[in-house]
This record gives sequence, structure tokens and C-alpha cells, in this order.
Amino acid sequence: MTTLVDLPRLADRVLRGEPAGRASRPRATLAALALLVLIHGLCYGAAMGTFGGFTGERIWQVVYSAVKLPFMLLATFAISLPSFFVLNTLFGLRDDFTRVIRALLVTQAGLTVILASLGPFTLFLYVQGIGYQQALVANGVMFAVSSASAQILLAREYEPLIRANPRHRTLLKVWLVVYVFVGIQMGWILRPFLGDPQQPVQFFREGSFTNAYMVVIELAWNVLTGQARR
Amino acid sequence: MATDKARGGKGSGWFSDLDRLLRGELTRTQSLRAGGLALDPLRLALVIVALAASYGLCMGAFAAFRADGPNLIQIVASMVKVPLLFFLTLIVTLPSLYVFNALVGSRLAAGALVRLLVAALAVMTAVLASLGPITAFFSVSTTSYPFMLLFNVAIFAVAGILGLSFLLQTLHRLSLSAGPTDEPAPLAAESEFVDQGALEPVGERGPSPHVRLVFRIWVVVFALVGAQMGWVLRPFVGNPKTPFAWFRVRESNFFQAVFQTLRSLFS
Repeated sequence: MTTLVDLPRLADRVLRGEPAGRASRPRATLAALALLVLIHGLCYGAAMGTFGGFTGERIWQVVYSAVKLPFMLLATFAISLPSFFVLNTLFGLRDDFTRVIRALLVTQAGLTVILASLGPFTLFLYVQGIGYQQALVANGVMFAVSSASAQILLAREYEPLIRANPRHRTLLKVWLVVYVFVGIQMGWILRPFLGDPQQPVQFFREGSFTNAYMVVIELAWNVLTGQARR
Repeated sequence: MATDKARGGKGSGWFSDLDRLLRGELTRTQSLRAGGLALDPLRLALVIVALAASYGLCMGAFAAFRADGPNLIQIVASMVKVPLLFFLTLIVTLPSLYVFNALVGSRLAAGALVRLLVAALAVMTAVLASLGPITAFFSVSTTSYPFMLLFNVAIFAVAGILGLSFLLQTLHRLSLSAGPTDEPAPLAAESEFVDQGALEPVGERGPSPHVRLVFRIWVVVFALVGAQMGWVLRPFVGNPKTPFAWFRVRESNFFQAVFQTLRSLFS
């Protein structure tokens, strides 16, 4: 159980990348990487959930958001993994699969570390007294920045794999499409992350078990046909 | 070796054939030359049933979260119907394939043909089952029936395309390995492809154009029959607006229905 103490060092190694040739230090285990996602996800989730304040009942929104954020990332990962495993096997890349999982988990861990580092900005913006819509946009920007930055890690981790077999490049694209597709729906049903101050605190939003894509399709259709339903 | 470790991790021998199939070990040109597709079709068929049923579970999960209370019998029905869908489609299309295959002078014997098709079905259902968690997640978190229908059609299409390209690729390799061995060229090329995946194209020489044409046509027929078979066996997902039924009235066809569903998605 040295991992807890080593977490900051591990996060540092994730960001800097582990030099391939150095075998002196054992490589981070997959469980340690998942723990990294969990801890940093908790941190940013909690920061995110403080929008409505953290007094009285509002503290629960902080707790819910803290739990939900890492859950969203890890559950999306777990749901998308089986098909990716079979695809990798089918395309003859099975022997690399442990390295593939590591590359993906390092990216996830990096994403949450970056996100957690942006947490103070989010809190700073909250303190300015921005509105709910602005807070949504601000968090969207934070996610966009960390997702984009995590691509650096992904490219670095995948580079040796792609060099060994260019087919990894195609499969990585497949992974990203599937992961984003599942992740969007996962984020959608796990709302609210911020907690609208006008609404009571709840773990799931009333009627949130809908489909994100259907909502988008309906919106687009209404815009195209000029109908303004509700 | 990592391969041995992974195989040992599978534990029972039931899935080892499937595993070797997916890895492409069974379809290497050397092993095909040694004795064709070395697998037990009956045992693999049971694995296919298990995989297809597991996807049926994920598919039927939509009915378990209906607004008017769970409809568990739909899950059972889907778990029975998905394996049925694959095997009935195979039964409908296999005889004509065998006849035309023999007619155009392919070297594949009946047993080899059955093993090849069972192998392709296994790949198909393995892909399908591996996409099951995604389907289950959307089934549970979605209330839109048309979305789930089209989603499942897309998943089946992905599994079908991968399974059938495996079939064409393996056929290609089978005829390579059955070809005359006095030509050294393909043997030399093989050594580069020791780690080839099951879908990796090998060499230029394939089956005769007639055999290839028969199989290409068959792949299309299989997809069409499979789609229509799915229509006959419906409901798989279970429309939340109608009560449970094992089968629906025979009407319309699959392609019309997909088109209708696409339209209802936008209304």
C-alpha cells in the first residue's frame, strides 16, 4: 500500500512519460493508474459540485459530483473495453493488448490530473459569482482543455505501438469514436454535475434516463423544421 | 510467452477454440495446410449459443426498464431468439452454398465448409457479445424505442461485416493452403506473416474467380436473409407501447421497417 504515498510521484511520471529503457523503477501498475483516475476525478468532481455552495444540503451535491466524475470515466472505459479487446485480437494485436490498456489508462489518468490542476480555476470563477449557464460553459472549457491536452499523452504512449504495427493507429481511432460515443451518453445520464441552485440537490436528475443523441436529434429536427416544441 | 499465458487465463477448453480463432492461430496458412480448420464444430456451436444469448440479454435489457414495469419474459425471448437467428440463417443459406460451391469446382468438402461457416459465425457472435456491454448500457439509459432498434441494427451490422470478412479471408487462405505446394513463392511470403491477424490479407493468389464469386454472392445473401430472419423473429427489443408477444404478425420487411424507424426517429 505504498501507492497512496506515491500518487503524486506517479502523477508526475504519467505527465512526463516513462522512459522506455529504464528498468530500474517498476512501471506503474494498472490498478495504480486507475487509482490515479479515481483520486483526481474525485478532486475535480468535488470542485465542480461546489457551484451551489457547500452549506447545508448543498454539501451533498459536492459529494455526488465527486463520486460521479471518476465513475463516468471508469465506467465508460469498462463498457468500451470488451469490444476493443475482441477487435484487437481479431486484427492480430492481442499480444500488445496489455500495453494498449496501459496507454489508454495513462491517458485517462493524465486527463484527470490535468482536470484536477484546473480545479482552482473553476473555483476561482465560481467565486466571481458567475451564473449557472456560464458555469456550465466554464466546465465545458475545462473538460475540452484537458481532453485536448491528454491527446499529447495518448500520442506519446501509442507512438511505439504504432511504430511496431501501423494497424494500431486505426484501432485507436475506433477506440476514440466508441469511447466518446459511450462517454457522451454516460455524462448525460449522470447529470447533474453542477447542480442548478434553483433546483433541489439530487443524485440523478428527474427524467435524466433519456438518450443524449435523441435530444440532439430532436433539437436539430426542431430547428430545421422551424417547430418550437415547448 | 504471452500467448500461453492468455490461453491459460481462459481456463476451460470451451473458449480456447474461439480464442485461437480470433487470434488467427487456426487460420494461419501453415496450420490450414496441415489439416484444414482444426476445430470442433459442435463445441464451437455451443459457444456461439452462449455468446449470442449473452447479447440477447443485453438487447432485452431495454424491456426490463419499461415505464410500466419490467417485462422479463422479453429478456428470455431475446436470449432464445438471437442464437436462433444465426443458426436459422445458416440453415437457410448453407445448402445452396454447398451446391453452388461444388458446382463451380471448389476444393472445399462439405465438412470443411461447415467448419468454415461455424468459425465465421463464432467470430460474428464474439464481436456481437463484446459489444453487449455498450448495448446494455444504452438499453438501460434510453427510453427511445426507435433509437434502440437502429442502434441494434448497427451493432449487428458491425458484427456481420467483421464475421463475413473473416469468412472471405479464411476462404482465401484455405484455397491458398490447398493449392499446389511445388510453388515456393507463397511459402516464402508466409514467414513474414507468422503473427498475422485473422483478418490480415495474405498473398495475391486466391480461390478461383468462380468460387470467389459464389462466396461473395453468398455473403450478400447471408446478410439479406439474416436481416429478414431478424424481422421474422422480432420482437427482440420489445416496443414499450405494445404488450409482449413471442412473435409479431408477419408484415412488411426488414428494410422498410428500418426506413420507417429512421423516419420515426425524426418525428
